Amino acid sequence: MLSSIEVKFIKQLEVGKKYLLKDAADIANLSLDAAKKAAMLLQQKGYLKIYETKEISYKLTEDGEKFLEEGFPEEKLLNLLEKTKDVEELKRTMGEDFSIAVSWLKKKGSVEIKDGKIFLLSRPKIPEKDVLKTVKEKGKVDEKFVEILKKRKLIEEVENKFFEVEILKKPSIIEDYIVEVTPELILSGAWRDKKFLAYDVRVQSKDVYGGKIHPYERIIRECRKIFLEMGFKEIKGHYVQTAFWNFDSLFQPQDHPARDMQDTFYLDKYVDLDEKLAEKVKIAHEKGVAGSTGWGGIWSLEKAKQLVMRTHTTTITIHYLARNPNPPQKAFCIDRVYRREAIDATHLPEFDQLEGVVLDEKVGFKHLLGLLKEFFAKMGFEEVRFRPGYFPYTEPSVEPEVYVDEIGWIELGGAGIFRKEVTEPLGIKGKVLAWGLGIGRLAMLKLGLKDLRKLYLPDLGWLRNARVRT
Amino acid sequence: MPVIRLYWRELEELVGVKRDVILKRISMLGCDVERVYEDYIDVEFFPNRPDLYSIEGVARALRGFLEIEKGLKDYKKSVKVDETKWKIFVESSVLDVRPRIAGCVAKNVKMSDEFIRSLISLQEDLHWTIGRNRRKMAIGIHDLSKISFPLIYKAVDSKFSFVPLDFNFKMTVEEILKDHPKGKAFSFILEGKEKFPMIIDSEGDAISFPPIINSEKTRVTEKTKDLFIDVTGFDENVDRALNIIACMLIDRGAEIESVVVHSSRFEVFPKLEAKVIEIERDEIYSLLGFKLNDEEIKDSLEKMRFGCEIGEKIKVFVPAYRVDVMHAWDVIEDIAIGLGYDKIIPEYPKTEGVASPHPWNEVKDLVKEVMIGLGFVEVLTFTLSNEKEMYVNMKRKAKPWENYVPLMHPLTSDHTLVRTSILPKLLGVLNFNKHHEVPQKIFEVGDVVRAMKNELHLAACITHPRTNFSEIRGYVQALMRDLGIPWDVKESEDEAFLEGRRADIIVNKEVVGTFGEINPEVLENFKIEMPVTAFEIDLSKIFDLGEIL
Repeated sequence: MLSSIEVKFIKQLEVGKKYLLKDAADIANLSLDAAKKAAMLLQQKGYLKIYETKEISYKLTEDGEKFLEEGFPEEKLLNLLEKTKDVEELKRTMGEDFSIAVSWLKKKGSVEIKDGKIFLLSRPKIPEKDVLKTVKEKGKVDEKFVEILKKRKLIEEVENKFFEVEILKKPSIIEDYIVEVTPELILSGAWRDKKFLAYDVRVQSKDVYGGKIHPYERIIRECRKIFLEMGFKEIKGHYVQTAFWNFDSLFQPQDHPARDMQDTFYLDKYVDLDEKLAEKVKIAHEKGVAGSTGWGGIWSLEKAKQLVMRTHTTTITIHYLARNPNPPQKAFCIDRVYRREAIDATHLPEFDQLEGVVLDEKVGFKHLLGLLKEFFAKMGFEEVRFRPGYFPYTEPSVEPEVYVDEIGWIELGGAGIFRKEVTEPLGIKGKVLAWGLGIGRLAMLKLGLKDLRKLYLPDLGWLRNARVRT
Repeated sequence: MPVIRLYWRELEELVGVKRDVILKRISMLGCDVERVYEDYIDVEFFPNRPDLYSIEGVARALRGFLEIEKGLKDYKKSVKVDETKWKIFVESSVLDVRPRIAGCVAKNVKMSDEFIRSLISLQEDLHWTIGRNRRKMAIGIHDLSKISFPLIYKAVDSKFSFVPLDFNFKMTVEEILKDHPKGKAFSFILEGKEKFPMIIDSEGDAISFPPIINSEKTRVTEKTKDLFIDVTGFDENVDRALNIIACMLIDRGAEIESVVVHSSRFEVFPKLEAKVIEIERDEIYSLLGFKLNDEEIKDSLEKMRFGCEIGEKIKVFVPAYRVDVMHAWDVIEDIAIGLGYDKIIPEYPKTEGVASPHPWNEVKDLVKEVMIGLGFVEVLTFTLSNEKEMYVNMKRKAKPWENYVPLMHPLTSDHTLVRTSILPKLLGVLNFNKHHEVPQKIFEVGDVVRAMKNELHLAACITHPRTNFSEIRGYVQALMRDLGIPWDVKESEDEAFLEGRRADIIVNKEVVGTFGEINPEVLENFKIEMPVTAFEIDLSKIFDLGEIL
């Protein structure tokens, strides 16, 4: 049984004739590669024979091209000799071409050098130029000149390989095969009496690319799905926030290093705050609330008024809880945050964070661990363990670790229960269990990514070929 | 967070167990083990526990945690109090500059290399953390035998001079701040001040110029036997740092003698008595989420080196070096740590909640579905940008604040503002992908920030040799048709697009977006040689998204 390209190839060729493979391909309207493949298959089946022929031809070197365009050095010299015979002067004008010209002219016995002067003995013929031209035009040239031009490095050999096919026989029933299924064929029913040509199913088609979700967005989508399955409400907020909501409401002291200009993108703008709320937070910082000693010192309202690019999604969760202070609440946020950091493979000045909070009366630390275990299990991390951690606004705090095959235990995010100093001034009733992690780290694990920058300046080849299954 | 280097030989000796026992449990005490070496380990302790910034402090905590020596260690009884012996008089002149001073004397210190190494690294780490780089608190360590008590702590002017540490000639305060390496490094703390804090002994010699440098006179050498420690600053952080140092010195076998400070009041340092916190059992059960019996609570607290008396309430004695305890919950966390986080059985909370996605993300998903159906590949880009990328290259104009948010101290010229449009970012992506096969069709749906508020935008680009206005219009038509939004167009003035081949999208009489053929000048600015057509739409104007939070 012949495949469609084999039939296509042999269909119009005549038995007993020899064709250049290139010509045969043109006749069959096939690419050279496809034609070669078809010819090889047909040879195996005894329909034709392939001959491989080598032919030497010549092509001009860079110098050859130059000489052809600008003339040979000896020509130039002959022209110059009409103006001066002084060797030094000629050397200056001609540069290194001078010695080439002289040596070839001497060989032909055309010149002689005496007392720093050149004398013309006879006017030589320079047939090389015409020969060079012939070579360029692929004409036939005299072997003698070929040797000279090869020696002068003006031409070089090119080995051409080409294939010829000799048609030995043709399949007899070729006319009865259907190549293309057409509407006419279906309408007329003519296909019923014929056979369909078989295609080579192993031949690759041209790649097609459709629209696709960014692999990183797919991970975010997966996280959102998990939160929604767990009955959480999704929340979101503006990138630009006050220092009050980003730091002060979370009991972060005003001289805390994380608040430095070094680490946070501040904006040169101050906005008004809810003064009553600010006063409560001020007391929590200076004197403490709910039995706490507070940080002492003076809390500045002005500092709290300054705008910042939010440094964590907790800015949003705490603001949400302050507006919805009564339990039960379950909320999550997955969004962009900013840090004043130089870009490298694992540090970006902006990245995405995931955060979940549960507000309830009768929950405690063991329930936080329960949430973490469930969340990570849904993320595909079956084994989770917990170590003590530290975050300025949670107590107790915990650093979860998950087990990843071939890597081992790795730290993934942080969690804790919001301090009383955080919840009390904002009027939040009950305990807030909170946890969060950087999506970038997750992406590195799930996508095997080594360089986070790749996510935000994506290579189209990577996106086009990325798997949709994480 | 400070990384503390703990030498195994020293640690094994101080704790009294082998390294494998320590290594197995140390992270459950609350720290990140950075690296384990043959001779030492590097461990990062949390910023709330400066008492663990020395090997002595770590050993003290581990001895409790590993149940070798439990409960409160009485450091107070190791302090010899003599109110007449070591006196510091504080003059009112210094109160505006750096008001608080405290100190102690440590006798019979064994000056081993290990001890000096530990003391100096503790001093450094305390400077960084509690001291906020010496701003809030600074520590001076002196050879006691070189000092004539009583001391005076006062403010001097910039012409005051003494021989600073590491120098052999007198320098004025002004010169020290300008030329001395430590002066140069820390002069920012005293910037703009006309008076400078100085500790002067009874012979009239300066012994320390806090928080900058000590005097050469009181240099500590291998012959030093007795130390005087001064701590200066503004508030209780001074006392906290002194407590941590004094406890560390006691652990090393030094005999501590108290120092008396006379200012408006009269204070004796160090103050090493334990602080008492009384905690209701219910508060413990409630925060941890489970009950435990009194013995377990007591045992756990004692493992964490607290004192504990069981009564009507749980009475906890907090050692003076535990400067992190502000509130009962700080102690309750330690009960959980003492118990072992690995011993707590997790339980999923029964808290009820209704799943609801955010409306912005619902719109995002919807739009994504349409765009992907139309064959566009989703890309993500940074939201940080700069004037050149956002405006100059796009032939667009804008004013800071009115249109965009300028960052105050940008780290690089690439990131000076937050994007107000996604389109320039997509052109950047096309430039980056020039080597890939065309046609290329990309889109991003995401946030931009205008007038300090987030907006939700959708932008898309097509590039191939024959893309044109008609093609991109076709996609805008498809999008609006699929989203079911009635719309209209008018000729646009957006210079980013080619005149006569650009249109504004109008919904409810408001311009919500633009599409057309990108201006070749803009393409040149983005170094793109292939024609590009594009559109960008402000989805927050089309959909009623409500308040973001």
